Amino acid sequence: MHELVEFAIEKAQEMEASYAEARFEEKNGTEIIMKNGNPEGLGILADRGIGIRVLVDGGMGFASTNVLTKESVSEAVKKAVKLAKAAAKIRNKPIQFSEESFHQVSYEVKMKKDFRDISAEEKMDYLKLIEEKVKETGVTTPMRFLRYGDFMWHKIFMNNEGALVESLIPRVSVTYNLVVFEEGQMEQAPFVQRAFSGGLELIEKDQPWEWAAKDVKALQKLIKEGQKPPEGKVDVVISPEVAGIAVHESVGHPYELDRIMGREAAQAGESFVKPEMLGERIGSEVVTVVEDPTVPNSWGFYLYDDEGVKARPRYLIRNGIINEFLMNREYASYLDLKSNAAARALNYNREPIVRMANTYLAPGDHSFEELIEDVKLGVYMVSFNEWNIDDRRFQQRYIGREAYLIENGEIKHPVRKPILEITTKGLWSSVDAVGKEIEFYPGTCGKGEPGQGVPVWMGGAPARLREVVLRR
Amino acid sequence: MMFEVNELILKKAKELGFGDVVVLAHEQNRRQVRFANNEIIVAKNWHTQKVELFAEYEKRVASTTLAALDENTIEKTLQMLMKSVKNLAPKEDYYGIAEGPFKYKDIPETFDKAIVELDEPNEYVEVAINAALEEGAERVAGVLYTDHNKLYLTTSNGVEAFDAGTGIEISVRAFIGDEESGHGTNSVRILKKFDPESAGRKAGEIAKLATNPIQGEAGTFDVVFDPLAFANLLSYMSFMTSAFTVEAGFSFLVGKLGQKVANEKVSLKDVGNMPNAYGTRKFDDEGVPTRETKIIENGILKTYLLNTSFARKYKTETTANAGLLMPEAWNIYLEAGDYSKDEIFGEVKHGIYITNVWYTRFQNYVTGDFSTIPRDGAFLIENGEIVKPIRNIRVSDNFQHILENIAALGKDLYHVHWWEVTTPVFTPYVLVKNVGITKATK
Repeated sequence: MHELVEFAIEKAQEMEASYAEARFEEKNGTEIIMKNGNPEGLGILADRGIGIRVLVDGGMGFASTNVLTKESVSEAVKKAVKLAKAAAKIRNKPIQFSEESFHQVSYEVKMKKDFRDISAEEKMDYLKLIEEKVKETGVTTPMRFLRYGDFMWHKIFMNNEGALVESLIPRVSVTYNLVVFEEGQMEQAPFVQRAFSGGLELIEKDQPWEWAAKDVKALQKLIKEGQKPPEGKVDVVISPEVAGIAVHESVGHPYELDRIMGREAAQAGESFVKPEMLGERIGSEVVTVVEDPTVPNSWGFYLYDDEGVKARPRYLIRNGIINEFLMNREYASYLDLKSNAAARALNYNREPIVRMANTYLAPGDHSFEELIEDVKLGVYMVSFNEWNIDDRRFQQRYIGREAYLIENGEIKHPVRKPILEITTKGLWSSVDAVGKEIEFYPGTCGKGEPGQGVPVWMGGAPARLREVVLRR
Repeated sequence: MMFEVNELILKKAKELGFGDVVVLAHEQNRRQVRFANNEIIVAKNWHTQKVELFAEYEKRVASTTLAALDENTIEKTLQMLMKSVKNLAPKEDYYGIAEGPFKYKDIPETFDKAIVELDEPNEYVEVAINAALEEGAERVAGVLYTDHNKLYLTTSNGVEAFDAGTGIEISVRAFIGDEESGHGTNSVRILKKFDPESAGRKAGEIAKLATNPIQGEAGTFDVVFDPLAFANLLSYMSFMTSAFTVEAGFSFLVGKLGQKVANEKVSLKDVGNMPNAYGTRKFDDEGVPTRETKIIENGILKTYLLNTSFARKYKTETTANAGLLMPEAWNIYLEAGDYSKDEIFGEVKHGIYITNVWYTRFQNYVTGDFSTIPRDGAFLIENGEIVKPIRNIRVSDNFQHILENIAALGKDLYHVHWWEVTTPVFTPYVLVKNVGITKATK
């Protein structure tokens, strides 16, 4: 396959592309779905192809094909070049890329328990285990949607500036939707996912079936014992899961430089953050937010991005100050900076764009007990269902699924659907303490057109928000 | 050529002992021009040839996509599929695929050679950008697509069917300052009906109207939804009408067949065979000719969307919405009412006009509690007139409550299909009474 990738680069250069990259991607895997105890079927994922991206006369063209012959690849290169030339005519200034140093490397994430050696029925056993464990709780759970997924993601990236990066990253996940029906009330844990880069040993260690059992028990308790949450100005302690969605939505996304500069304006939107806000305060001293693709076994894992740039941790907020944006080569160049390896593509048929990988609230110095102990009246939000944020990433809301009253430093009964609807600055300025222990939760981050839902982790340490307005 | 490949796959699958087999080959040529800040940021072309395979062995079902179409790959894939599926537990509620063959009618305005032969669509992008700028916009962003698709379907129940379709569409968002924007779209299947200017003009007009917005207030308001905004809600609704999502706990329509789920003014259909609609196809994934299906009639839920297996399970007829695993809508169609746009606004004493929304999310799919965020212009209405633009509000309500509180429907339908509205929707302007509006504090 290396030969075909190299052929694409050579072809593009012959056709006067000033920049050319080719990316071969192959995904092979399994999907198993079970609905209400019935196996819905087995899906075998087998997808591969080549995408070519070029700059010609300052315009950008991209073409892909899944017909892997020289003839078809050559045709794709011609199309990319032609599109780039035509696009260049409707530009105010030429597209530029930052200068980077490139490597010729190959890397692989090893599996202890390789899913390619395991039969479909053994994989289905993971889902059956969820069925069993949920049943054992005795909680009435009439609707159950379960999904197991694995795939090996193989990439070969090459450009005309000396990059050659080959990677093999396996990914495994289990997802569930559980609807609890008790005392005439329905509560739901929708699209809960456990996901990793690596082998099945990670699923077995994590035990999604225990998460599922815990979820239905919490929902039952919510139905039986749940009360209204307090209203008005109270303290809120957010768990690593809630901290994770908050850093993803209100820190990661608005710090994507392509979004800041308007490239995604018609789809995912713009940002309240402007380039000149680097160095400005956005949160309290104790808030540090890190974006790190290199976290081992993470759902968002990579060591080189899809422009061949070596990945490193990015400190988006350091001690409350806006420190760094997420950048690819094009947007880094507009600020005279280097890329920080945020270019990701979902597949061979997608352009690499600025994305998150694993975003987290960095740990502080409080134990969990210390976070809770001097809260007079507040809520501990453990998990959330509904969430959203405006397309400038400034006003967001999270509604608790599992949440508890905190009274005089103690966690009490469950509370129903506490609503935190708050601005980004308001949220991060309210944090007065951050816990020591971090956890990660998987998600699929949406951006780009056509959509590119890429695997990410979100998480971090729990945090305490002082005097924020809570609604019911 | 593709039918020969299909036949070969079918033959080999039967030889291996599979029962129901569906082979669906796609050939796709798609082009995209993306623009932002009044310039083209990237132009793309996709060429995809793929074969989707669904195969059943004694009620065990499996599906895959064939990455290559040589005989060796086909044989290996089928053998692997059989090996994987053989020892699985059966899907007890699997009831087979449709019995063909079927007769298919040509659907007008779904194929246009002029789109296939269109060399260079950039002039349409310029037309849209310029229309928005003329209306007062400063920055214009968006996307244009041209599509040419071919489908070849072969099944073990006697179906052999072919469909070819084309399309061209544009989505335009215009900005003035940071918080003043508007959005317009235009999606068609034949070139001479394409109107990129109208999309650009609408985006620019709304952006202009939205200049200097003030913070909106929380409360309960009568809301006029622009077709673009209501299409977003109906697109989510379409997901919830599938029998699969109902059973899986992702729908507020569960257990409500024959019951009132909307105001009696509301009739909602799925129309798979509608001329000039972006989701139209001649047949579903089992080969059943697409049709019109009444989902809600005068407020009563009539059916979920079904494939043959679900239909047999529920002892009824398929609605021709296969998806072999999950039935899916083709084009969601909300029946028009008899109000002009002015008359709809005229019904509102004190309310809000919402031109677009995004990020619709559910607290509980089964109860239908959700929120969605207005983006682009939103406006206060007083005594039927737009009086000022507002910003930073959220629609926080319940899906069924919204449907039950529909008070007026416009008489003109708009075809909406864009990044946020993935299932094409036909909807008029819609007035909904007593909609919950919230805002962020602090």
